[in-house]
Amino acid sequence: MGFKQKQHDNNGFEIANQAGAARTGTLQVGDTELKTPNLFPVVNFYAGGTSSSLYGGGIHRTMKEFMNGDEVINGGDYSEYFDGVMTSVASLTDYGITKERYEEYIDTPIKERDLFDFDGVLFIDSGGFKFLGDKTLDGSDFEVDVDQRTIIEIQRKLGADLVLNLDRPIEPDDDYETRIQKARMTAQNVDQFLELTDRQKQTRYLTLHGYNYSMLNTFLTEIEKVIGKNRVHREFDGVALGSLVPLKDNKGKLITAVSDCREVLDDWGFDDLPLHVLGISSSAIPLLAAVGADTFDSSSYLHAAINGKYHTSLYNTEPLDDVDFSNCDCPVCSDDKLVNWMEGDAEYQKDKLGAVSMHNLIIQKEEISRVREAISKSGTDGLIEYFEQSLSRHKSMQQHAHRVVNDSLGGYF
Amino acid sequence: MSTTKTPQVNEVNEFLEIASDFEDPLEVIRESLSNSYDAGATEVEITIRDRPIGSEIVIEDDGDGMDYADLESFFDLGNSTKRDPSSDAIGYKGHGTKIFYKSEEVLVNTSKEGTNLRAQMEQPWEKLNNRVMPEYEVRERSVKEGNNGTHIRITGFKSGRGFSPSSLTYNKIEHYLKWKTLAGSTAHYFTDDYHEMDIYITLGDEIDDTQETLKLDNKLEFPDEQIEPGEGKFPESRMCKHYPPRELTVETDDGDTAIIEVVGMIGGKDARNELPTYGKHSAQFGIWLAKDYIKVERVNEVISHDNEFLHFFFVANCQDIELSANREKIRNKSSSIYQAIKEELSHYLSKIASDPWFKDYLNQRRKAKLSRRAESQQSSVEDREKRILDREQFTPSNDAEVVLGLERSNREGALPKIVVEDYDPSVEVNALVKQDDSLYASSIHHKLTDHFEADKPLESVDKIICWSYGDPDQLSELERHGYHGGDITFDLNTGRIEYQNGRKHNIHIVSVEQRFQ
Ligand SMILES: [Zn+2]
Repeated sequence: MGFKQKQHDNNGFEIANQAGAARTGTLQVGDTELKTPNLFPVVNFYAGGTSSSLYGGGIHRTMKEFMNGDEVINGGDYSEYFDGVMTSVASLTDYGITKERYEEYIDTPIKERDLFDFDGVLFIDSGGFKFLGDKTLDGSDFEVDVDQRTIIEIQRKLGADLVLNLDRPIEPDDDYETRIQKARMTAQNVDQFLELTDRQKQTRYLTLHGYNYSMLNTFLTEIEKVIGKNRVHREFDGVALGSLVPLKDNKGKLITAVSDCREVLDDWGFDDLPLHVLGISSSAIPLLAAVGADTFDSSSYLHAAINGKYHTSLYNTEPLDDVDFSNCDCPVCSDDKLVNWMEGDAEYQKDKLGAVSMHNLIIQKEEISRVREAISKSGTDGLIEYFEQSLSRHKSMQQHAHRVVNDSLGGYF
Repeated sequence: MSTTKTPQVNEVNEFLEIASDFEDPLEVIRESLSNSYDAGATEVEITIRDRPIGSEIVIEDDGDGMDYADLESFFDLGNSTKRDPSSDAIGYKGHGTKIFYKSEEVLVNTSKEGTNLRAQMEQPWEKLNNRVMPEYEVRERSVKEGNNGTHIRITGFKSGRGFSPSSLTYNKIEHYLKWKTLAGSTAHYFTDDYHEMDIYITLGDEIDDTQETLKLDNKLEFPDEQIEPGEGKFPESRMCKHYPPRELTVETDDGDTAIIEVVGMIGGKDARNELPTYGKHSAQFGIWLAKDYIKVERVNEVISHDNEFLHFFFVANCQDIELSANREKIRNKSSSIYQAIKEELSHYLSKIASDPWFKDYLNQRRKAKLSRRAESQQSSVEDREKRILDREQFTPSNDAEVVLGLERSNREGALPKIVVEDYDPSVEVNALVKQDDSLYASSIHHKLTDHFEADKPLESVDKIICWSYGDPDQLSELERHGYHGGDITFDLNTGRIEYQNGRKHNIHIVSVEQRFQ
């Protein structure tokens, strides 16, 4: 019943090492292999502009210039930080796109565009959060009704390697009936999603919503009622846990949601499937990886930069004006031109903040590779030591670090 | 014209001042034990008598004894710093023995390598107070090699108010020694070749005649571990877990390092009561900083405020703390190393506090409290039952909707007929209902889940009357995690809760909403 029976031989997840509930592995998506745990930076591929400006405006344009290794940013190779990238169909609505531009934009898959050089894994979210209310994709002079069929078509046209069904996220104060209703609506979409993506080459993830074991179990039960036990078990390459963004500041609840999700998946015989956590990042990553999350996506690197914050670690930021750039040896901070930009000597704010957000992303990516290494060491000592040196030294994080060490890694005593 | 002046030290005043810091004859014993330990003694005998001519404290050990130089150190102020400060010697600061000056006579009789020295100092305290430096007379004779040891006799010790030798008891001495001296040392947890020393205390019958002699060793030991809760009303009270010795390394920003050697336990009241006690029991628990493995001062602020210090007893030794002359206080509290020590301890203790065992222990405490509370409610339920039986007809006291709904369902013929006889929303078991001529202690809520959100006990209720059940996922989370430490199962089809917490309880759920269907 494992993923080996699935339709694509080149999709799969191989677990290499385990430390308690944490694990490292290799996620195969098409021809690309990603090491897990891993972080997909959220990139806005359409942020205004035309194909010659990489469809980008503002800081998003500079980020894409980094992805592309453009001359503008001194031509460095940053591709290792973009081994996997997440974007959402919903981001199309952010910049008042016109019908003409929309058609031009979805005409060529992102990875096949002439001016754009990106060959990482492209993960395209359905945008369930955004489309929940009005069910339309709203352009400046047109509207497209949104349903599972339209979403999957856009995902396909943009050349997604990894896709999610259109989902109905829940809210923390939804009552039981509302959650059931959303699970049933999601199940209908899942049914259609499987049919529409059958014999397609994309890797497919199932979305789940819930904050504890019982909610997640109820959600899965509703999905199973609609699509049948067989398909729930056979046809998905992974699971994406959603609806956590409203809890992003409550690390205790995040840990419960993710570890309970892992437990539900194990009880349902999905233990081989990778678990993606939607929209959560930064300091929560090591905690959630320790309880069994495999991949993450986040735009916090970018939002930190926009708010003038420079990451000194995954858990700390410093106001941009106070930063001594010589303390960081990342490619951005080692490049005089980019340092000048970050110090304010840039023609455009987007270049100053774009450089900062690239640096922030590098810090996050490097930290997650440290988490990976810590899990890879034999036994749980590596990861416990990692927490000892990192999160448990931060007053606000300490108790959460202690909790995962106690719950998932065998404890201190 | 200019002159250079050197500030003058008045030696007599210096002695007076240092000796004045000491009040308690027990401090004489504390200093003597340290000296004996430093001299390598394996046995020390201390005898205290209260004679008509004054008190007498005699300390005798089988240590290396003293030569002329050692004797000088013994009597001089601060002279013993000649010793190697990196050794594990406790007395090296050389202030402690000045306490002996607060007496009418000091007599030292010591043998080292075939030589016996007898030093006598008369009226030291009187002379100091007359601003005269007391002298001592030394006589030398030879003795057999190998007969080493020291015998000190302090006569007429001048105690502070309330500290006289006649107020001592074996019990008080035992606890003091285990608490404040190397008899309560934690060193044995950290060194393999720990130097053991037996301590014998004898009090004259005129002071305490309850026993002949008190024998102690120089090790602080924790009450035996008891990981599981016990029986009875306070099942957690004898729970106790040891946290093995750990070395923590402390580093300050400017590069100083220090080692903290910490060992300790968490335990309930009964376990804590097995520890020695000097002064108020509760004033002793918490986190102690120690030097030379002897407790000095507490730093309970290193336990986060959501944990009561009362459950903890830890001793954290660090040789980089500096003490006041009488060893009662830490002197270098404003140093960065002291701050760093506190920081590191706080980090270590937050791990202790997150130990699942500790959480379980607290849970046992809470459980026991709840069941005691439930028990006291039982009697109040009985009182109310009696009042209902005594009175002739039902008088409603409030109009909560569920209650009204229940009454209405009765009128519309729902079966069984359940009549609310008594309703008091301010108490835990808020209702007594009558069904088939029997009374049932009940909890009335809008939703079944409200009962659990309000953290109410299940032991004392027979029925939970609710309009509806609430969020089924919330109920199944209760089934997964348990409630108040017990196992719980909901059978909503038959309207029953099965709750197993020690005893098995069956609780009937009445959904008023369903009574209308
Ligand atoms: Zn950098």
